[in-house]
Amino acid sequence: MSTPLLQVEHLRVTYRVARRKVVAVQDASFVARRGRCLGIAGESGSGKSSLARAILALEDQVSGKVLFDGQDVLRQTRAARREFRRRAQMVFQDPLGSLNPRLKVGAALGEVLRVHKIADSRADVQAQIARWLTTVGLDPAYADRFPHELSGGQRQRVNIARALCVGAEFLVADEPVSALDVSVQAQILNLLQTLQADCGITWVLIGHDLAVMRHMADDLLIMQAGEIVESGPAAQILEAPRHPYTRALLASASHLESAQNGL
Amino acid sequence: MKATHSNEDVKAGTDVVLTVTNLGVGFFPDSARRYDVVRGVHLTLRAGQTTALVGESGCGKSITAAALGGLLPRGMVQDEGEIRWAAGVESRPGRGLAYVFQDPGECLNPVFTIRNQIHEVLPTEERGNAEERLVELMRQVGFAEPARVLASYPHQLSGGMQQRAMLAMALAGRPRVLVADEPTTALDVTVQAQILQLLKDLQRQENLAMLLITHNLGVVAAMADYVHVMYAGQIVEAGPASLLQAPRHPYVQGLLRALPRLRGPRQKLQGIEGSVPPLGQRPEGCRFHPRCPVARDICRQREPEWKAVDDQHAVACRAIGADGWE
Repeated sequence: MSTPLLQVEHLRVTYRVARRKVVAVQDASFVARRGRCLGIAGESGSGKSSLARAILALEDQVSGKVLFDGQDVLRQTRAARREFRRRAQMVFQDPLGSLNPRLKVGAALGEVLRVHKIADSRADVQAQIARWLTTVGLDPAYADRFPHELSGGQRQRVNIARALCVGAEFLVADEPVSALDVSVQAQILNLLQTLQADCGITWVLIGHDLAVMRHMADDLLIMQAGEIVESGPAAQILEAPRHPYTRALLASASHLESAQNGL
Repeated sequence: MKATHSNEDVKAGTDVVLTVTNLGVGFFPDSARRYDVVRGVHLTLRAGQTTALVGESGCGKSITAAALGGLLPRGMVQDEGEIRWAAGVESRPGRGLAYVFQDPGECLNPVFTIRNQIHEVLPTEERGNAEERLVELMRQVGFAEPARVLASYPHQLSGGMQQRAMLAMALAGRPRVLVADEPTTALDVTVQAQILQLLKDLQRQENLAMLLITHNLGVVAAMADYVHVMYAGQIVEAGPASLLQAPRHPYVQGLLRALPRLRGPRQKLQGIEGSVPPLGQRPEGCRFHPRCPVARDICRQREPEWKAVDDQHAVACRAIGADGWE
Protein backbone atom coordinates (compact mmCIF):
# COMPACT_ATOMS: atom_id res chain seq x y z
CA MET A 1 0.00 0.00 0.00
CA SER A 2 1.32 3.42 -0.88
CA THR A 3 1.92 5.94 1.87
CA PRO A 4 -0.64 8.74 2.07
CA LEU A 5 0.34 11.95 0.31
CA LEU A 6 -0.43 14.00 3.38
CA GLN A 7 -0.09 12.90 6.96
CA VAL A 8 -0.99 15.30 9.74
CA GLU A 9 -0.07 14.58 13.35
CA HIS A 10 -1.22 16.44 16.44
CA LEU A 11 -1.64 19.69 14.58
CA ARG A 12 -2.49 22.70 16.69
CA VAL A 13 -3.18 26.16 15.31
CA THR A 14 -3.41 29.21 17.56
CA TYR A 15 -4.04 32.88 17.02
CA ARG A 16 -3.14 35.80 19.22
CA VAL A 17 -6.20 37.96 19.78
CA ALA A 18 -5.70 41.03 21.95
CA ARG A 19 -2.77 39.41 23.79
CA ARG A 20 -4.83 36.32 24.47
CA LYS A 21 -4.18 33.00 22.84
CA VAL A 22 -7.07 31.44 20.96
CA VAL A 23 -6.84 27.83 19.89
CA ALA A 24 -8.36 27.44 16.43
CA VAL A 25 -7.42 23.82 15.83
CA GLN A 26 -6.72 21.34 18.59
CA ASP A 27 -4.74 18.13 18.20
CA ALA A 28 -5.78 17.25 14.64
CA SER A 29 -4.42 14.01 13.18
CA PHE A 30 -5.46 12.57 9.84
CA VAL A 31 -4.22 11.46 6.43
CA ALA A 32 -5.15 12.37 2.86
CA ARG A 33 -4.88 9.32 0.61
CA ARG A 34 -3.34 9.66 -2.84
CA GLY A 35 -5.79 10.36 -5.65
CA ARG A 36 -8.71 10.74 -3.25
CA CYS A 37 -10.86 13.57 -2.03
CA LEU A 38 -10.78 14.27 1.69
CA GLY A 39 -13.74 16.35 2.88
CA ILE A 40 -13.52 18.56 5.95
CA ALA A 41 -16.95 19.66 7.11
CA GLY A 42 -18.12 21.82 9.97
CA GLU A 43 -20.00 24.99 10.75
CA SER A 44 -18.48 28.44 10.65
CA GLY A 45 -15.85 28.93 13.32
CA SER A 46 -15.16 25.22 13.65
CA GLY A 47 -11.55 25.67 12.49
CA LYS A 48 -11.79 24.04 9.08
CA SER A 49 -10.23 26.95 7.20
CA SER A 50 -7.47 27.34 9.80
CA LEU A 51 -6.73 23.67 9.38
CA ALA A 52 -6.64 24.03 5.60
CA ARG A 53 -4.26 26.97 5.78
CA ALA A 54 -2.05 25.22 8.30
CA ILE A 55 -1.49 22.15 6.14
CA LEU A 56 -0.33 24.44 3.33
CA ALA A 57 2.09 26.18 5.73
CA LEU A 58 0.15 29.43 5.50
CA GLU A 59 -0.26 29.86 9.28
CA ASP A 60 2.47 30.95 11.71
CA GLN A 61 1.58 29.61 15.09
CA VAL A 62 1.36 25.95 14.34
CA SER A 63 2.70 22.98 16.25
CA GLY A 64 2.64 19.31 15.37
CA LYS A 65 3.63 17.67 12.13
CA VAL A 66 2.42 18.03 8.56
CA LEU A 67 4.13 15.39 6.45
CA PHE A 68 3.74 15.97 2.71
CA ASP A 69 5.16 13.03 0.78
CA GLY A 70 7.19 12.20 3.87
CA GLN A 71 8.65 15.70 4.44
CA ASP A 72 7.58 17.93 7.28
CA VAL A 73 6.32 21.11 5.62
CA LEU A 74 6.49 23.06 8.89
CA ARG A 75 10.28 22.61 9.05
CA GLN A 76 11.53 23.01 5.51
CA THR A 77 14.52 24.53 3.79
CA ARG A 78 13.79 27.42 1.46
CA ALA A 79 14.30 25.30 -1.64
CA ALA A 80 12.05 22.55 -0.33
CA ARG A 81 9.40 25.13 0.59
CA ARG A 82 9.53 26.50 -2.93
CA GLU A 83 8.97 23.07 -4.40
CA PHE A 84 6.13 22.45 -1.91
CA ARG A 85 4.50 25.72 -2.99
CA ARG A 86 4.40 24.39 -6.53
CA ARG A 87 3.10 20.93 -5.69
CA ALA A 88 0.43 21.98 -3.21
CA GLN A 89 -2.12 24.62 -4.25
CA MET A 90 -5.26 26.26 -2.96
CA VAL A 91 -8.56 27.45 -4.41
CA PHE A 92 -10.58 29.91 -2.34
CA GLN A 93 -14.25 30.65 -1.82
CA ASP A 94 -14.48 34.06 -3.43
CA PRO A 95 -13.50 33.60 -7.07
CA LEU A 96 -13.27 37.33 -7.79
CA GLY A 97 -11.36 38.23 -4.63
CA SER A 98 -8.67 35.70 -5.43
CA LEU A 99 -7.91 37.10 -8.89
CA ASN A 100 -5.94 40.29 -9.46
CA PRO A 101 -8.47 42.67 -11.08
CA ARG A 102 -5.76 44.28 -13.19
CA LEU A 103 -4.37 41.09 -14.68
CA LYS A 104 -5.97 39.45 -17.67
CA VAL A 105 -6.64 35.75 -17.30
CA GLY A 106 -3.68 34.87 -19.51
CA ALA A 107 -1.35 37.08 -17.49
CA ALA A 108 -2.55 35.55 -14.22
CA LEU A 109 -1.71 32.07 -15.47
CA GLY A 110 1.48 33.22 -17.19
CA GLU A 111 2.75 34.71 -13.94
CA VAL A 112 2.63 31.44 -12.01
CA LEU A 113 4.10 29.52 -14.94
CA ARG A 114 7.07 31.89 -14.95
CA VAL A 115 7.50 32.01 -11.17
CA HIS A 116 7.69 28.24 -11.00
CA LYS A 117 9.74 28.07 -14.21
CA ILE A 118 7.28 25.67 -15.83
CA ALA A 119 7.43 27.13 -19.32
CA ASP A 120 10.69 28.11 -20.99
CA SER A 121 9.66 30.30 -23.89
CA ARG A 122 6.95 32.84 -24.56
CA ALA A 123 5.33 30.53 -27.09
CA ASP A 124 5.39 27.71 -24.58
CA VAL A 125 3.68 29.92 -21.97
CA GLN A 126 0.94 30.75 -24.47
CA ALA A 127 0.49 27.12 -25.42
CA GLN A 128 0.22 26.01 -21.81
CA ILE A 129 -2.26 28.76 -20.97
CA ALA A 130 -4.42 27.68 -23.89
CA ARG A 131 -4.16 24.03 -22.90
CA TRP A 132 -5.15 24.67 -19.28
CA LEU A 133 -8.04 26.95 -20.16
CA THR A 134 -9.37 24.17 -22.38
CA THR A 135 -8.84 21.62 -19.62
CA VAL A 136 -11.04 23.61 -17.23
CA GLY A 137 -13.70 24.09 -19.89
CA LEU A 138 -12.96 27.63 -21.06
CA ASP A 139 -12.28 28.86 -24.57
CA PRO A 140 -8.57 29.82 -24.93
CA ALA A 141 -9.79 33.25 -26.09
CA TYR A 142 -10.64 33.96 -22.44
CA ALA A 143 -6.90 34.55 -21.87
CA ASP A 144 -7.59 38.07 -23.14
CA ARG A 145 -10.34 38.87 -20.64
CA PHE A 146 -10.23 40.61 -17.29
CA PRO A 147 -11.73 38.85 -14.25
CA HIS A 148 -14.66 41.30 -14.06
CA GLU A 149 -15.73 40.24 -17.55
CA LEU A 150 -16.26 36.66 -16.42
CA SER A 151 -19.13 35.02 -14.56
CA GLY A 152 -18.56 33.53 -11.11
CA GLY A 153 -18.29 30.02 -12.46
CA GLN A 154 -15.82 31.07 -15.15
CA ARG A 155 -13.67 32.85 -12.56
CA GLN A 156 -13.57 29.76 -10.42
CA ARG A 157 -12.48 27.77 -13.48
CA VAL A 158 -9.62 30.23 -13.95
CA ASN A 159 -8.63 29.82 -10.29
CA ILE A 160 -8.58 26.06 -10.73
CA ALA A 161 -6.49 26.36 -13.90
CA ARG A 162 -4.06 28.68 -12.12
CA ALA A 163 -3.71 26.24 -9.24
CA LEU A 164 -3.14 23.20 -11.42
CA CYS A 165 -1.09 24.61 -14.33
CA VAL A 166 2.12 24.45 -12.31
CA GLY A 167 1.82 20.70 -12.07
CA ALA A 168 0.20 20.58 -8.64
CA GLU A 169 -0.49 17.18 -7.12
CA PHE A 170 -2.34 18.41 -4.06
CA LEU A 171 -5.21 20.88 -4.05
CA VAL A 172 -6.99 22.41 -1.09
CA ALA A 173 -10.35 23.88 -2.08
CA ASP A 174 -11.89 26.05 0.66
CA GLU A 175 -15.64 26.31 0.02
CA PRO A 176 -15.01 26.46 -3.75
CA VAL A 177 -18.68 26.54 -4.74
CA SER A 178 -20.36 28.36 -1.83
CA ALA A 179 -20.39 31.67 -3.67
CA LEU A 180 -21.81 30.15 -6.87
CA ASP A 181 -25.34 29.55 -8.09
CA VAL A 182 -26.72 26.04 -7.81
CA SER A 183 -26.74 25.39 -11.56
CA VAL A 184 -23.09 26.45 -11.78
CA GLN A 185 -22.02 24.69 -8.56
CA ALA A 186 -22.63 21.33 -10.19
CA GLN A 187 -20.44 22.28 -13.17
CA ILE A 188 -17.50 23.19 -10.92
CA LEU A 189 -17.88 20.14 -8.68
CA ASN A 190 -17.97 17.91 -11.75
CA LEU A 191 -14.88 19.64 -13.13
CA LEU A 192 -12.99 19.02 -9.88
CA GLN A 193 -14.05 15.39 -9.93
CA THR A 194 -12.89 14.97 -13.54
CA LEU A 195 -9.54 16.59 -12.75
CA GLN A 196 -9.12 14.30 -9.77
CA ALA A 197 -9.56 11.30 -12.06
CA ASP A 198 -7.63 12.61 -15.10
CA CYS A 199 -4.69 14.28 -13.37
CA GLY A 200 -4.53 11.98 -10.36
CA ILE A 201 -4.87 14.89 -8.00
CA THR A 202 -5.24 14.44 -4.28
CA TRP A 203 -7.50 17.06 -2.85
CA VAL A 204 -9.05 18.41 0.28
CA LEU A 205 -12.53 19.89 0.06
CA ILE A 206 -13.50 22.25 2.86
CA GLY A 207 -17.21 22.90 3.15
CA HIS A 208 -20.34 23.10 5.24
CA ASP A 209 -22.72 21.32 2.87
CA LEU A 210 -22.96 17.64 3.72
CA ALA A 211 -24.83 16.82 0.51
CA VAL A 212 -21.87 18.18 -1.48
CA MET A 213 -19.54 16.08 0.69
CA ARG A 214 -21.58 12.99 -0.05
CA HIS A 215 -21.09 13.52 -3.78
CA MET A 216 -17.43 14.47 -3.70
CA ALA A 217 -15.56 13.14 -0.67
CA ASP A 218 -14.05 9.69 -0.29
CA ASP A 219 -13.02 10.33 3.30
CA LEU A 220 -14.55 12.83 5.67
CA LEU A 221 -13.60 14.75 8.81
CA ILE A 222 -16.26 16.47 10.89
CA MET A 223 -15.00 19.42 12.92
CA GLN A 224 -16.56 21.17 15.85
CA ALA A 225 -15.01 23.99 17.87
CA GLY A 226 -11.49 23.27 16.64
CA GLU A 227 -11.57 19.53 17.13
CA ILE A 228 -12.10 16.63 14.77
CA VAL A 229 -15.07 14.87 16.28
CA GLU A 230 -15.54 12.17 13.67
CA SER A 231 -13.51 10.80 10.78
CA GLY A 232 -13.70 7.91 8.36
CA PRO A 233 -15.06 6.96 4.95
CA ALA A 234 -17.58 9.61 3.89
CA ALA A 235 -20.28 7.13 2.93
CA GLN A 236 -20.08 5.45 6.32
CA ILE A 237 -20.19 8.70 8.32
CA LEU A 238 -23.15 10.05 6.38
CA GLU A 239 -24.96 6.73 6.52
CA ALA A 240 -24.38 5.98 10.19
CA PRO A 241 -22.99 8.98 12.07
CA ARG A 242 -21.63 8.12 15.51
CA HIS A 243 -20.90 11.46 17.10
CA PRO A 244 -23.91 13.42 18.41
CA TYR A 245 -22.69 16.57 16.66
CA THR A 246 -22.50 14.82 13.28
CA ARG A 247 -25.99 13.50 13.87
CA ALA A 248 -27.28 16.98 14.68
CA LEU A 249 -25.66 18.43 11.56
CA LEU A 250 -27.04 15.68 9.39
CA ALA A 251 -30.49 15.94 10.92
CA SER A 252 -30.70 19.69 10.22
CA ALA A 253 -29.54 19.20 6.66
CA SER A 254 -31.74 16.25 5.84
CA HIS A 255 -34.77 17.86 7.47
CA LEU A 256 -34.90 20.34 4.59
CA GLU A 257 -34.17 17.70 2.01
CA SER A 258 -36.90 15.37 3.17
CA ALA A 259 -39.29 18.31 3.21
CA GLN A 260 -38.38 18.72 -0.43
CA ASN A 261 -38.83 15.06 -1.29
CA GLY A 262 -42.02 14.59 0.64
CA LEU A 263 -43.86 17.74 -0.33
CA MET B 1 -57.82 36.56 -21.48
CA LYS B 2 -54.11 36.12 -21.63
CA ALA B 3 -53.05 33.25 -19.42
CA THR B 4 -50.73 34.28 -16.61
CA HIS B 5 -49.57 32.77 -13.38
CA SER B 6 -51.71 35.06 -11.23
CA ASN B 7 -53.84 32.50 -9.48
CA GLU B 8 -56.53 34.86 -8.28
CA ASP B 9 -58.65 33.58 -5.45
CA VAL B 10 -57.18 30.12 -5.49
CA LYS B 11 -58.14 29.47 -1.94
CA ALA B 12 -61.40 31.08 -1.06
CA GLY B 13 -61.63 32.21 2.51
CA THR B 14 -58.04 33.31 2.94
CA ASP B 15 -57.62 37.06 3.01
CA VAL B 16 -55.63 38.50 0.20
CA VAL B 17 -53.43 41.19 1.75
CA LEU B 18 -51.44 42.27 -1.25
CA THR B 19 -51.76 41.78 -4.99
CA VAL B 20 -49.05 42.57 -7.47
CA THR B 21 -50.04 42.68 -11.12
CA ASN B 22 -47.66 42.79 -14.03
CA LEU B 23 -44.88 44.44 -12.05
CA GLY B 24 -42.00 45.81 -14.10
CA VAL B 25 -38.86 47.50 -12.84
CA GLY B 26 -36.40 49.27 -15.12
CA PHE B 27 -32.91 50.61 -14.61
CA PHE B 28 -32.52 54.17 -16.01
CA PRO B 29 -35.94 53.80 -17.72
CA ASP B 30 -35.70 57.16 -19.48
CA SER B 31 -32.26 56.88 -20.92
CA ALA B 32 -30.77 55.08 -23.89
CA ARG B 33 -29.09 52.65 -21.51
CA ARG B 34 -32.37 51.44 -20.07
CA TYR B 35 -32.46 47.88 -18.81
CA ASP B 36 -35.33 45.65 -17.85
CA VAL B 37 -34.64 44.39 -14.36
CA VAL B 38 -37.94 42.68 -13.62
CA ARG B 39 -40.85 42.11 -16.01
CA GLY B 40 -44.40 40.79 -15.76
CA VAL B 41 -44.41 39.66 -12.13
CA HIS B 42 -47.76 38.69 -10.64
CA LEU B 43 -48.02 37.85 -6.95
CA THR B 44 -50.86 37.35 -4.52
CA LEU B 45 -49.99 37.35 -0.83
CA ARG B 46 -52.53 35.93 1.61
CA ALA B 47 -52.74 36.19 5.38
CA GLY B 48 -51.23 33.16 7.08
CA GLN B 49 -49.65 31.85 3.90
CA THR B 50 -46.13 31.80 2.57
CA THR B 51 -45.24 32.53 -1.02
CA ALA B 52 -41.69 31.76 -2.04
CA LEU B 53 -39.75 33.55 -4.75
CA VAL B 54 -36.96 31.24 -5.85
CA GLY B 55 -34.12 31.78 -8.23
CA GLU B 56 -30.40 32.19 -8.67
CA SER B 57 -28.54 35.41 -8.02
CA GLY B 58 -29.42 38.23 -10.37
CA CYS B 59 -32.85 36.87 -11.30
CA GLY B 60 -34.68 39.82 -9.77
CA LYS B 61 -36.17 38.31 -6.63
CA SER B 62 -34.77 40.87 -4.21
CA ILE B 63 -35.70 43.74 -6.54
CA THR B 64 -39.27 42.46 -6.66
CA ALA B 65 -39.32 42.44 -2.87
CA ALA B 66 -37.85 45.92 -2.68
CA ALA B 67 -40.48 47.23 -5.09
CA LEU B 68 -43.25 46.11 -2.72
CA GLY B 69 -42.12 48.61 -0.11
CA GLY B 70 -41.02 51.30 -2.53
CA LEU B 71 -37.43 50.58 -1.52
CA LEU B 72 -35.91 50.24 -4.98
CA PRO B 73 -32.24 51.16 -5.24
CA ARG B 74 -31.32 54.47 -6.81
CA GLY B 75 -31.72 54.43 -10.58
CA MET B 76 -34.39 51.76 -10.60
CA VAL B 77 -38.00 52.70 -11.19
CA GLN B 78 -41.21 50.73 -11.13
CA ASP B 79 -42.39 51.56 -14.62
CA GLU B 80 -45.13 49.02 -15.08
CA GLY B 81 -47.85 47.24 -13.14
CA GLU B 82 -49.65 47.78 -9.90
CA ILE B 83 -49.13 46.93 -6.24
CA ARG B 84 -52.51 46.83 -4.54
CA TRP B 85 -52.99 46.55 -0.78
CA ALA B 86 -56.17 45.20 0.79
CA ALA B 87 -58.42 47.86 2.29
CA GLY B 88 -57.38 48.95 5.74
CA VAL B 89 -53.80 47.72 5.57
CA GLU B 90 -51.18 50.33 6.12
CA SER B 91 -48.61 49.82 3.42
CA ARG B 92 -45.65 51.77 4.76
CA PRO B 93 -42.46 49.76 5.22
CA GLY B 94 -42.06 49.14 8.94
CA ARG B 95 -45.82 49.18 9.51
CA GLY B 96 -47.97 47.04 7.25
CA LEU B 97 -44.90 45.64 5.57
CA ALA B 98 -41.70 44.53 7.27
CA TYR B 99 -38.46 43.12 5.98
CA VAL B 100 -35.90 40.69 7.32
CA PHE B 101 -32.68 40.44 5.36
CA GLN B 102 -29.90 37.95 4.87
CA ASP B 103 -27.12 39.34 6.99
CA PRO B 104 -28.36 40.48 10.41
CA GLY B 105 -24.87 41.69 11.33
CA GLU B 106 -25.00 44.21 8.49
CA CYS B 107 -28.54 45.35 9.25
CA LEU B 108 -28.06 46.10 12.92
CA ASN B 109 -26.30 49.29 13.90
CA PRO B 110 -23.12 48.32 15.77
CA VAL B 111 -23.06 51.37 18.06
CA PHE B 112 -26.54 51.08 19.56
CA THR B 113 -27.99 48.49 21.90
CA ILE B 114 -30.79 46.20 20.75
CA ARG B 115 -33.18 48.08 23.08
CA ASN B 116 -32.27 51.34 21.41
CA GLN B 117 -32.78 50.01 17.91
CA ILE B 118 -36.11 48.30 18.52
CA HIS B 119 -37.41 51.27 20.51
CA GLU B 120 -36.67 53.46 17.54
CA VAL B 121 -39.00 51.52 15.24
CA LEU B 122 -41.92 51.24 17.67
CA PRO B 123 -45.05 53.16 16.63
CA THR B 124 -45.03 56.59 18.27
CA GLU B 125 -47.94 55.86 20.58
CA GLU B 126 -46.08 52.90 22.10
CA ARG B 127 -42.78 54.64 22.70
CA GLY B 128 -43.66 56.31 25.99
CA ASN B 129 -44.02 53.21 28.12
CA ALA B 130 -42.22 50.80 25.87
CA GLU B 131 -40.48 48.38 28.24
CA GLU B 132 -43.38 45.96 28.40
CA ARG B 133 -43.76 45.84 24.62
CA LEU B 134 -40.00 45.39 24.15
CA VAL B 135 -39.95 42.44 26.55
CA GLU B 136 -42.98 40.95 24.82
CA LEU B 137 -41.27 41.22 21.42
CA MET B 138 -38.13 39.59 22.80
CA ARG B 139 -40.15 36.70 24.23
CA GLN B 140 -42.01 36.34 20.95
CA VAL B 141 -38.79 35.72 19.05
CA GLY B 142 -37.69 33.18 21.62
CA PHE B 143 -35.30 34.98 23.96
CA ALA B 144 -35.41 33.54 27.46
CA GLU B 145 -33.60 36.53 28.97
CA PRO B 146 -35.11 39.61 27.31
CA ALA B 147 -33.41 42.10 29.61
CA ARG B 148 -29.93 40.83 28.87
CA VAL B 149 -30.45 40.79 25.11
CA LEU B 150 -32.07 44.23 25.09
CA ALA B 151 -29.01 45.64 26.83
CA SER B 152 -26.61 43.98 24.38
CA TYR B 153 -24.81 45.44 21.43
CA PRO B 154 -25.08 43.46 18.17
CA HIS B 155 -21.51 42.12 18.37
CA GLN B 156 -22.33 40.46 21.68
CA LEU B 157 -24.93 38.25 19.98
CA SER B 158 -24.44 35.23 17.75
CA GLY B 159 -25.70 35.26 14.14
CA GLY B 160 -28.86 33.39 15.09
CA MET B 161 -29.57 35.75 17.98
CA GLN B 162 -28.98 38.76 15.74
CA GLN B 163 -31.52 37.39 13.28
CA ARG B 164 -34.01 36.94 16.14
CA ALA B 165 -33.44 40.56 17.13
CA MET B 166 -34.07 41.60 13.52
CA LEU B 167 -37.33 39.66 13.61
CA ALA B 168 -38.36 41.40 16.81
CA MET B 169 -37.70 44.70 15.08
CA ALA B 170 -39.75 43.61 12.07
CA LEU B 171 -42.67 42.66 14.33
CA ALA B 172 -42.54 45.93 16.27
CA GLY B 173 -44.78 47.70 13.74
CA ARG B 174 -47.33 44.83 13.76
CA PRO B 175 -46.95 44.09 10.05
CA ARG B 176 -49.41 42.17 7.90
CA VAL B 177 -46.79 41.22 5.33
CA LEU B 178 -43.31 39.98 6.20
CA VAL B 179 -40.75 39.87 3.45
CA ALA B 180 -37.95 37.50 4.44
CA ASP B 181 -35.07 37.90 1.98
CA GLU B 182 -32.73 34.90 2.36
CA PRO B 183 -33.32 34.96 6.13
CA THR B 184 -31.15 31.95 6.92
CA THR B 185 -28.54 31.96 4.17
CA ALA B 186 -25.85 33.48 6.39
CA LEU B 187 -26.53 31.07 9.25
CA ASP B 188 -25.19 27.62 10.08
CA VAL B 189 -27.49 24.68 9.33
CA THR B 190 -28.37 23.94 12.93
CA VAL B 191 -29.33 27.58 13.57
CA GLN B 192 -31.09 27.78 10.22
CA ALA B 193 -33.61 25.16 11.31
CA GLN B 194 -34.41 27.14 14.49
CA ILE B 195 -34.97 30.39 12.64
CA LEU B 196 -37.20 28.74 10.04
CA GLN B 197 -39.30 27.22 12.81
CA LEU B 198 -39.52 30.61 14.51
CA LEU B 199 -40.69 32.21 11.26
CA LYS B 200 -43.42 29.59 10.99
CA ASP B 201 -44.54 30.13 14.59
CA LEU B 202 -44.61 33.89 14.22
CA GLN B 203 -46.56 33.59 11.01
CA ARG B 204 -49.22 31.51 12.74
CA GLN B 205 -49.43 33.78 15.80
CA GLU B 206 -49.65 37.00 13.81
CA ASN B 207 -51.46 35.62 10.75
CA LEU B 208 -48.72 37.09 8.58
CA ALA B 209 -48.61 36.93 4.84
CA MET B 210 -45.01 35.98 4.12
CA LEU B 211 -42.97 36.50 1.00
CA LEU B 212 -39.95 34.26 1.34
CA ILE B 213 -37.03 34.91 -0.94
CA THR B 214 -34.49 32.17 -1.22
CA HIS B 215 -32.31 30.19 -3.58
CA ASN B 216 -32.60 27.11 -1.38
CA LEU B 217 -35.23 24.68 -2.64
CA GLY B 218 -35.14 22.80 0.65
CA VAL B 219 -36.17 25.96 2.50
CA VAL B 220 -39.02 26.44 0.03
CA ALA B 221 -40.22 22.91 0.61
CA ALA B 222 -40.15 23.31 4.38
CA MET B 223 -41.87 26.70 4.44
CA ALA B 224 -43.89 27.65 1.41
CA ASP B 225 -47.50 27.20 0.31
CA TYR B 226 -46.90 28.74 -3.10
CA VAL B 227 -43.76 29.07 -5.13
CA HIS B 228 -42.75 31.32 -8.00
CA VAL B 229 -39.51 30.46 -9.75
CA MET B 230 -37.73 33.41 -11.35
CA TYR B 231 -35.13 33.42 -14.08
CA ALA B 232 -33.44 36.51 -15.52
CA GLY B 233 -36.09 38.96 -14.29
CA GLN B 234 -39.19 36.96 -15.10
CA ILE B 235 -41.29 34.32 -13.43
CA VAL B 236 -41.02 31.06 -15.35
CA GLU B 237 -43.10 28.70 -13.26
CA ALA B 238 -45.64 29.28 -10.51
CA GLY B 239 -48.02 27.24 -8.43
CA PRO B 240 -48.40 25.35 -5.16
CA ALA B 241 -45.06 24.46 -3.55
CA SER B 242 -45.63 20.82 -4.43
CA LEU B 243 -44.84 21.68 -8.06
CA LEU B 244 -41.18 21.26 -7.14
CA GLN B 245 -41.78 17.53 -7.03
CA ALA B 246 -42.60 17.51 -10.71
CA PRO B 247 -41.61 20.82 -12.25
CA ARG B 248 -42.37 21.37 -15.93
CA HIS B 249 -40.05 24.21 -16.91
CA PRO B 250 -36.69 22.94 -18.24
CA TYR B 251 -34.86 25.45 -16.02
CA VAL B 252 -36.56 24.28 -12.84
CA GLN B 253 -36.03 20.65 -13.82
CA GLY B 254 -32.35 21.42 -14.38
CA LEU B 255 -32.04 23.16 -11.01
CA LEU B 256 -33.36 20.09 -9.23
CA ARG B 257 -30.95 17.80 -11.07
CA ALA B 258 -28.05 20.07 -10.17
CA LEU B 259 -28.71 19.75 -6.47
CA PRO B 260 -26.47 17.40 -4.47
CA ARG B 261 -28.55 15.10 -2.28
CA LEU B 262 -28.03 13.42 1.06
CA ARG B 263 -30.30 10.53 0.17
CA GLY B 264 -30.86 8.35 -2.83
CA PRO B 265 -28.33 7.06 -5.34
CA ARG B 266 -25.01 8.89 -5.41
CA GLN B 267 -24.93 9.92 -9.03
CA LYS B 268 -23.01 12.47 -11.05
CA LEU B 269 -24.45 15.95 -10.69
CA GLN B 270 -25.85 17.57 -13.79
CA GLY B 271 -25.27 21.29 -13.96
CA ILE B 272 -27.08 23.54 -16.38
CA GLU B 273 -24.71 24.58 -19.18
CA GLY B 274 -23.63 28.21 -19.19
CA SER B 275 -24.62 30.76 -16.57
CA VAL B 276 -27.37 33.25 -15.76
CA PRO B 277 -27.11 36.13 -18.27
CA PRO B 278 -26.18 39.43 -16.62
CA LEU B 279 -28.43 42.48 -16.90
CA GLY B 280 -28.09 43.95 -20.37
CA GLN B 281 -27.05 40.65 -21.93
CA ARG B 282 -30.38 38.93 -21.61
CA PRO B 283 -31.20 37.18 -24.87
CA GLU B 284 -34.19 37.79 -27.14
CA GLY B 285 -37.12 35.41 -27.04
CA CYS B 286 -37.20 33.08 -24.07
CA ARG B 287 -34.44 34.21 -21.72
CA PHE B 288 -33.52 30.64 -20.89
CA HIS B 289 -33.12 29.46 -24.48
CA PRO B 290 -29.29 29.53 -24.70
CA ARG B 291 -29.11 27.09 -21.78
CA CYS B 292 -32.23 25.11 -22.58
CA PRO B 293 -31.88 21.48 -23.70
CA VAL B 294 -35.18 21.50 -25.63
CA ALA B 295 -35.09 24.99 -27.18
CA ARG B 296 -36.18 25.45 -30.78
CA ASP B 297 -36.05 28.33 -33.22
CA ILE B 298 -39.28 29.86 -32.02
CA CYS B 299 -37.83 30.11 -28.47
CA ARG B 300 -35.00 32.24 -29.84
CA GLN B 301 -37.40 34.62 -31.57
CA ARG B 302 -40.53 34.91 -29.47
CA GLU B 303 -41.26 35.31 -25.77
CA PRO B 304 -42.63 32.18 -24.13
CA GLU B 305 -46.35 31.78 -23.56
CA TRP B 306 -47.96 30.94 -20.26
CA LYS B 307 -49.43 27.45 -20.21
CA ALA B 308 -51.68 26.12 -17.48
CA VAL B 309 -50.62 22.70 -16.17
CA ASP B 310 -53.66 22.61 -13.92
CA ASP B 311 -55.85 25.32 -12.41
CA GLN B 312 -53.12 26.42 -9.98
CA HIS B 313 -49.88 25.55 -11.72
CA ALA B 314 -48.63 27.51 -14.74
CA VAL B 315 -45.44 27.47 -16.79
CA ALA B 316 -43.93 29.99 -19.19
CA CYS B 317 -42.59 27.59 -21.78
CA ARG B 318 -43.59 26.73 -25.33
CA ALA B 319 -42.48 23.13 -24.97
CA ILE B 320 -45.31 22.35 -22.55
CA GLY B 321 -48.89 21.32 -23.17
CA ALA B 322 -51.08 20.31 -26.07
CA ASP B 323 -49.34 22.38 -28.74
CA GLY B 324 -45.92 21.77 -27.19
CA TRP B 325 -43.24 19.37 -28.39
CA GLU B 326 -42.97 17.08 -25.41
